[in-house]
Amino acid sequence: MAQTRLGRNENISGWAFIAPAMVLLGIFMIWPILWSLWMSFQTGRGMNMSFGGLSNIIRLTEDPIFVKALGNTLTFLAIQVPIMIMMALIFAVMLNSPRLRFRGLFRTAIFLPAVTSLVAYSILFKSLFSTDGFVNASLIALGLSERGVNWMGDPFYAKIVIITAITWRWTGYNMIFYLAALQNIDKSIYEAARIDGIPAHAQFFKITVPMLKPVILFTTIMSTIGTLQLFDEVQNITLGGPANATLTLSQYIYNLTFRFMPSFGYAATVSYVIVVLVAILSFVQFYVARDRK
Amino acid sequence: MSGLKLKGLRKAYGGFEVIRGVDLEIEPKEFVVFVGPSGCGKSTILRMIAGLEDISGGELFIGDRMVNDVDASKRGIAMVFQSYALYPHMTVEENMGFALKYAGESKETIKRQVAEAARILGLEALLSRRPKDLSGGQRQRVAIGRAIVRHPEVFLFDEPLSNLDAELRLQMRIEIARLHKELGTTIIYVTHDQVEAMTLADKIVVLRDGRIEQVGSPLDLYDNPKNQFVAGFIGSPKMNFLPAKIQGGRLSLVGYAGQSLPLPPLETAPLDGTEVMIGIRPEHFTKDGQAALELTVEIVENLGNETYAYARQGHAEMLTIAMQGDRSTRPGSAVSARFDPQKMFLFDMKGERIF
Ligand SMILES: Nc1ncnc2c1ncn2[C@@H]1O[C@H](COP(=O)(O)OP(=O)(O)O)[C@@H](O)[C@H]1O
Ligand SMILES: [Mg+2]
Repeated sequence: MAQTRLGRNENISGWAFIAPAMVLLGIFMIWPILWSLWMSFQTGRGMNMSFGGLSNIIRLTEDPIFVKALGNTLTFLAIQVPIMIMMALIFAVMLNSPRLRFRGLFRTAIFLPAVTSLVAYSILFKSLFSTDGFVNASLIALGLSERGVNWMGDPFYAKIVIITAITWRWTGYNMIFYLAALQNIDKSIYEAARIDGIPAHAQFFKITVPMLKPVILFTTIMSTIGTLQLFDEVQNITLGGPANATLTLSQYIYNLTFRFMPSFGYAATVSYVIVVLVAILSFVQFYVARDRK
Repeated sequence: MSGLKLKGLRKAYGGFEVIRGVDLEIEPKEFVVFVGPSGCGKSTILRMIAGLEDISGGELFIGDRMVNDVDASKRGIAMVFQSYALYPHMTVEENMGFALKYAGESKETIKRQVAEAARILGLEALLSRRPKDLSGGQRQRVAIGRAIVRHPEVFLFDEPLSNLDAELRLQMRIEIARLHKELGTTIIYVTHDQVEAMTLADKIVVLRDGRIEQVGSPLDLYDNPKNQFVAGFIGSPKMNFLPAKIQGGRLSLVGYAGQSLPLPPLETAPLDGTEVMIGIRPEHFTKDGQAALELTVEIVENLGNETYAYARQGHAEMLTIAMQGDRSTRPGSAVSARFDPQKMFLFDMKGERIF
């Protein structure tokens, strides 16, 4: 179609309006993304880098710390996300029931962790689970344990502390999405189910869960991304210890960049591992949740 | 099919009574319609029958069984909601078969019953669709189908046609009447639309403020309303009401320049000065009536088959007059509205009918 002068002028002012935003996005987002992709093919220490082809990817497979960090991250993901999503769903359904008293109070209490600072709550959990902390004192007082549990010193228990912490922090956050979705569901659907004699568990699994499917998909993907990028909690509670038992990928990237002799190229490669994982897992989740006809 | 018995049924929400003692008998296979203005408690009674609301007082029998404490799913009822309440993620077929699956029916039985219901309602071609791909009327049919497959003793409908446009409403009304004939179930049907009530009901129950005002057949209520409320509620367009005073054994019309009408024979002759309310149905104005009101026409509505004039004298109440095929009336013209005083109604100031 032939362009009029007016059309061209409008075109120019349109681009002029979005130019500042485009420039900022370009400098602070697109450029770093491309640059880090380029960097992931560089080897060397500090500023002294050279093109290494696929050598960083080969290094990944031979790096026991990377394998450990990857395993830890996937463990956190596989255990924590399903537990949290399930709990958030159950809390949401319970808090949505008109028969429950003090609903407002419970809602606030469950959502409150989501507004606390990551560092502050991490430090709180660190003190709760220290050898002479509140949790051990309670266990001993209740007679469940003689000398308490060495939470931070044991690879298994340290993972449990991390999982507990992030579950505490993020369950309420996810619950809010479900609660909002539940409040949009016509109440008479459940009344019809009641008259139809649908048992409570079937109402939950066959009515509520399918109707919340889009929201569940959204929260699952967001939680997956969040857990793959897990950093603050482990850094503040266990520092990745003991013996790298809670080291995560993000933390390993941080260590590669800022703690050890800086190895920017290799750190960028590990970052792209997270990108690839997010892409694969999101695809799988979309695929599983697709509308089957 | 079961009948129902409501004995002194009450419902209170936190100390505030919304249903204040309802006594009613419903015969097996009867089509009963609850009508009344919005907020009078129709839905609440229906939901108590369904088992969706606890009963605060009184007794509810379905058949011979007292069901006050029986679970909703065990009362032998099925309900159709105004919002349809279909399961949005299920197909039409799944929606209709869902209850049967949990009632432990076999796959073949479910398939057969769903097919049967689909045939009755003309839904065969839509079985694999989701509710969002259906029109309002089709959704309502699915909701009815979901009720039919369970072979309930009693059908409950809560304003099932309110979300449909006028044409569909008429079509579904005929459909529901046909279903009642075909299935022979007891039906309790709630509506605020008196036309639906008149056309569908064997028996109409008129409610106001949580109490029954009158129970009767549609024509019963039309011909013999017990009070001014029922008289005003049943009939379309609404009955006209003219305030009057009894003076010297005649009815002196208020706002009609001293005009008076003969007082019909009453059981107890009222005292001079007693205020009363005269009721005249718009369709009871006829050319050969013995009494006449001299009015000025303000608005004319031509519906084709019928013409309604809205007219009054001076600043008195506006009256609705069915013009009996006379299309010549124009706004501003004078009309002599004749009627037969034998056909008028008389109410005392408490609204009770005295003639
Ligand atoms: N859950 C409730 N809590 C308090 N009042 C209610 C509740 N449900 C209904 N009501 C009141 O009960 C009355 C009857 O309501 P309803 O049966 O829905 O009326 P209708 O169906 O005749 O329009 C109304 O005044 C309404 O405000
Ligand atoms: Mg209602």
